[in-house]
Amino acid sequence: MRVALAGNSRRPAARTAERIPWFDTMVLPSAGVLAIVVGYPVVYTLVLSAEDYNLIGTTPPRFVGGDNFAKLVHDPTFWQALGNTLVYTFGSVAIAALLGLALALLTERASGRAGRIVRALLLTPWAVPFVVVAFLFRYMYLQNGGAINALLLAAGVIDTPISWLNVASLALPAVMVTNVWAMTPFFFLLLAAALAGIPNEVIESARVDRARGWSLVVGIKLPFLRNALLVGCLLMIIANFNDFAKIWAMTQGGPGYATTTLVVYVYRQAFESFAIGYASAIGVVWLALLLVFAFAYLRALRVR
Amino acid sequence: MMDAAADRRGGTRRTARVVQYVAIALALVWSLAPVYWMLATSFKTELEAARLAPTPWPLRPTLDNYRGLFGGSLPFLAFFVNTVVTCLATAIVAVIIATPAAYALSRARFRLRAATGYAMLVFRMLPLVVLLAPLYLLLLNARLLDTHTGLVVGFATFGLPFAVWMLKSFVDAVPIEVEEAARVDGYRRWQILFRVVVPLILPGLLTTGTFVFMEAWNNLIYPLTFVTTLEKQTLPAALVLTFTGQFKTDWGGMMAAATLTTLPLMIAFFAVQRSMVRGLTSGAVAGA
Repeated sequence: MRVALAGNSRRPAARTAERIPWFDTMVLPSAGVLAIVVGYPVVYTLVLSAEDYNLIGTTPPRFVGGDNFAKLVHDPTFWQALGNTLVYTFGSVAIAALLGLALALLTERASGRAGRIVRALLLTPWAVPFVVVAFLFRYMYLQNGGAINALLLAAGVIDTPISWLNVASLALPAVMVTNVWAMTPFFFLLLAAALAGIPNEVIESARVDRARGWSLVVGIKLPFLRNALLVGCLLMIIANFNDFAKIWAMTQGGPGYATTTLVVYVYRQAFESFAIGYASAIGVVWLALLLVFAFAYLRALRVR
Repeated sequence: MMDAAADRRGGTRRTARVVQYVAIALALVWSLAPVYWMLATSFKTELEAARLAPTPWPLRPTLDNYRGLFGGSLPFLAFFVNTVVTCLATAIVAVIIATPAAYALSRARFRLRAATGYAMLVFRMLPLVVLLAPLYLLLLNARLLDTHTGLVVGFATFGLPFAVWMLKSFVDAVPIEVEEAARVDGYRRWQILFRVVVPLILPGLLTTGTFVFMEAWNNLIYPLTFVTTLEKQTLPAALVLTFTGQFKTDWGGMMAAATLTTLPLMIAFFAVQRSMVRGLTSGAVAGA
């Protein structure tokens, strides 16, 4: 070994660099498939975004440059959809993260069989398919015969049943509650795992220093959960940006555009109006937004 | 003095305990009530499920809703089979293709390694709806619209990058010494991968496959777009499409269908629940 190294010592850096290949054959199958099913569509979306292309139109696709983007700037529905997306995403993620944190702290000391069962039961919403979650809540939100109205009426909170999903100002919050229900177990599990990962000595020495209750949680535990919380939030922000199933199955973006997020808007433009070019332009803007979060995510990981 | 303070602390601690139990109980109700409501409704008659004042449990429990699914006009069994076949196929294909890539990303040295890893991570985050129109045109030209294969191709867009990252975390955990020994015995790379590494990460393959299966099962946008014949539809899309028809007011039938759509996912979920955190944050050691 030593002899070989000595022999190479004239240009060691150059020699090792030469030997490192650019690519690895073992990655080729995955890279090839992804190049076709993801890479090509992304590039094609960029091309389509500069075209006037109607899927059922009689005219062939026509290059229009930045026209689609100019149209976008003046499209109030686009801005509403963007606003809805931000409210839906950040609102649901923030609430679900707080609830998940509360659950993780609450059940931290629950050990043994009972603890395991409680934890598993708290995770149940995660195992329900999104479309089922949507229909289930749609049924419970019904104005006539919905469980939620019945409960609120019985408790005296409301006087008349409310048509939750048909009132513009209530539809988005109602869908967000559904979303929070489905998402909280993710944060619960993630943060419970992070809590369990805090070294015992840290907690013990904090106890010796008379840190208790809130001060123990805020001063000692939260800093340890920061990374998990950050990674979890970014992952869920990305997932919520792309959420289609829950919104579509509950409201299809209505009433009006009250619950229309970017996904729903793009879907409508592409597959109901067949305006593929315009839909692609929205997609490109959105892609840019998402890349910002993707990079934030990558940076957060590196800090970790 | 000391005793009084200790007493008071004991008292607050007891109160804290009670508050804690009440909070856990509330959390359990919040988490389970909707699921209970789905199950309860699925055993109610059509009339009872539509009552203005909902009954807390089925007054006259019936299996009619479930019987209706299999004997009725809807090809519910076909929906079920379609979903299981496409999701299983996606899981198996994704794991098979992703395994060598995961191995290379974990072990091999090549200049584009970090770039490839990051690309996979970003692919996993891409909004599916942005890929939708080009993929639709691609499948149209390949005559794969309305086929199981076409759906599997669609599901691969998120299943494959995810599988690569998750499997990489499992390969990372295999001690390198095991491979060194095999190398000394004259094994080549592919042999090492399939004869040494794969047997060691079998649980990882299973977990990853289950994850991909669950993600595909949850997907609505692809089947809704790429499948045009109702008989070839998957469960989530079928629920959406038929809701406006047969199930318009038949919430009992709807909830029975929902229950059966949930069951396989619930089984898959609790089978891999322990590896859940690893799965969702896989890639968390990116670039390492």
